[in-house]
Amino acid sequence: MNDPAGPENFPLNCWYVVATSDEVGRSLLARQALGRRLLLFRTGDGRAAVLDDRCPHRAAPLSMGTLEGDRVVCAYHGFTYAPDGQCVRVPSQRHVPYGAQVRSYPVLERPPFVWVWPGNPARSRGTEPPDLPALREPGWTVLGGAREMAVNYLLLHDNALDRTHFPYVHPHRIHRGYVQDPPPLRIEVSETTVSYSRTFTPAPLIGWQHDATGLPADTEYVQRETGTFVSPALHVDEMDIIGPDQRVYQGVFIRAFTPVDAARTLIIWRGARNYAPGDESVTARLREVYDGTMTEDQPLLEAIQATTGGAVGYQVSAAADAAAIRAYQIVEALLAEEKGWAYPRRRD
Amino acid sequence: MSSEEAPSAAMLTVFSERRSDLLITAREMRAEGVVSLTLADPGGAQLPGWTPGAHIDLLLNDAVRQYSLCGTPGDQHSWRIAVLLDPDGRGGSRRVHDTLQVGDQVAVRGPRNHFPLHSVPRYIFLAGGIGITPILPMVAAATEAGADWQLYYGGRSQASMAFLDELEPYGERVALWPQDTRGLLPLDEILQNPADSTLVYCCGPEGLLTAAEQRCAAWPSGSLHLERFAAKPQPEPAAGQAGEAPFEVVCQRSGLTITVPPGQSIIDALDENGVSVLSSCLEGVCGTCETRVLEGVPDHRDSLLSEDEREANEYMMICVGRSKSDRLVLDL
Repeated sequence: MNDPAGPENFPLNCWYVVATSDEVGRSLLARQALGRRLLLFRTGDGRAAVLDDRCPHRAAPLSMGTLEGDRVVCAYHGFTYAPDGQCVRVPSQRHVPYGAQVRSYPVLERPPFVWVWPGNPARSRGTEPPDLPALREPGWTVLGGAREMAVNYLLLHDNALDRTHFPYVHPHRIHRGYVQDPPPLRIEVSETTVSYSRTFTPAPLIGWQHDATGLPADTEYVQRETGTFVSPALHVDEMDIIGPDQRVYQGVFIRAFTPVDAARTLIIWRGARNYAPGDESVTARLREVYDGTMTEDQPLLEAIQATTGGAVGYQVSAAADAAAIRAYQIVEALLAEEKGWAYPRRRD
Repeated sequence: MSSEEAPSAAMLTVFSERRSDLLITAREMRAEGVVSLTLADPGGAQLPGWTPGAHIDLLLNDAVRQYSLCGTPGDQHSWRIAVLLDPDGRGGSRRVHDTLQVGDQVAVRGPRNHFPLHSVPRYIFLAGGIGITPILPMVAAATEAGADWQLYYGGRSQASMAFLDELEPYGERVALWPQDTRGLLPLDEILQNPADSTLVYCCGPEGLLTAAEQRCAAWPSGSLHLERFAAKPQPEPAAGQAGEAPFEVVCQRSGLTITVPPGQSIIDALDENGVSVLSSCLEGVCGTCETRVLEGVPDHRDSLLSEDEREANEYMMICVGRSKSDRLVLDL
């Protein structure tokens, strides 16, 4: 398989999470994401705005300036910009010079996420970021966080779609169904998505599952799991326990993978559950599970990144990698479409 | 194996295309014999994304039919297809026209895309009849991307040509060519000047596709992109040639070697031996079963690969393709 090409191998015509709603306020926030320096702020009427964090005059970061009303004033010479990036004032002269404009990005806020479209703005019209019912419907208790890893974002998708590293990297977090006669992994593809799913034969809960659900540790329950590469920007997985009376204990793990550059990725994540509403001790227990799992993956993934230099470049894949390989192919096709056509070339 | 050993997670991986039951939320006659259906998730959930040129399978009891998505890729809540009633067809279009109504549910597989639109500064779009369907989202995308484009749209008569209302805003970029008043599309004229930074996208009946292939022979390799709705007529293998001889297929990754007898397809022979490959049309049209060839010379019988691609022998469609060599090694 070819490597999805280029040092920055993420499609631009896609919604990415660059911040959470609580981070964006009435002050200037600098964020490195999507291979660029971004400036985030909120206007007086509550709308999130995202601009390039660079004054077109002498390249001072606008985040070092001030927000006056809805206008951003550069710290260096006072060039002043409206939320759409248009320069509206140059203190040293009467007229605004031609071309004095900062690039602004299409933004859609779906709390708790602020989504940005780094590609052609015309192609964003009419589109929406992926819908995440567990983050907007009542009945869910949500926790979350963010971390940066020194890996290309595709490696995180690969890791998220891979179930076979759990017995090695997270052995104390999995029930016996992962290692004893694991059921078939069903992989479903569409043009732009790939998902896996499987249902385990009844198995006893392991420590954290028992702590979180309050279900007895000595009873066997059916469990099922699914995970989806929703877009290059998002992986969502779900682990369910079918409890007594067919009550389904759902746990949804949402990970926004936002490339910072070719070798770093910002992970903004949320864990949502439909049980133990508002229970702080359960939240703390699950936080340790989500955070701990990522902490266990991180050194391996960063070492892989250092080994390969970011190119996919694997030599061998196993049958269980089918979902990840498909995700690479989806990204490859999206990149090919964006980067244009070169002759001669294989139809793809 | 004792339970004290290192964890063993021998696991079967089953690969399939996304399947869903969708609700028909609108049904409209678009031209003589052309009905459009709008499909949505019954619970209102978002549908997976697609790009211009994508198609879906409609699973109609005993028939599977492919239809291009002809709505807006940005619309994540509904898909649109358009179906031409083919009185001489295999019955799929008749079933769609006669039985599917608003409120019915249909089983759908996909989407997938074997006719992707690549970013270039200029396009020539050629559509014949119902072949306008994949072209509709393409012209919209080309417009959004700021590309230069021209669409030549032929049909039997103006009344048989669907979506004229949606093409109207594009003005002179669209040339309508009803056969009863203007004759066939003037391909000699349209394709007379090969251009480096121009791609030609063509969808329609076999006659149009073959003619476009001939006219584009002088164009840079890879300029012409085609989508077929039915299998391309294949030359009959000369008597005594390898056409129906048995041959050996080696699956490199799974280490399996099988013999494909005359009259059986590679994909069926593999399936009997436990190697299941994703497939859909089984007639060399859709590209789902495309497989990498590591050794040997395929006997290509599909309607997808270009002449260059056939000669390269890198990929083949194993639902119809056979082998010219005694042995084929595939990346399976």
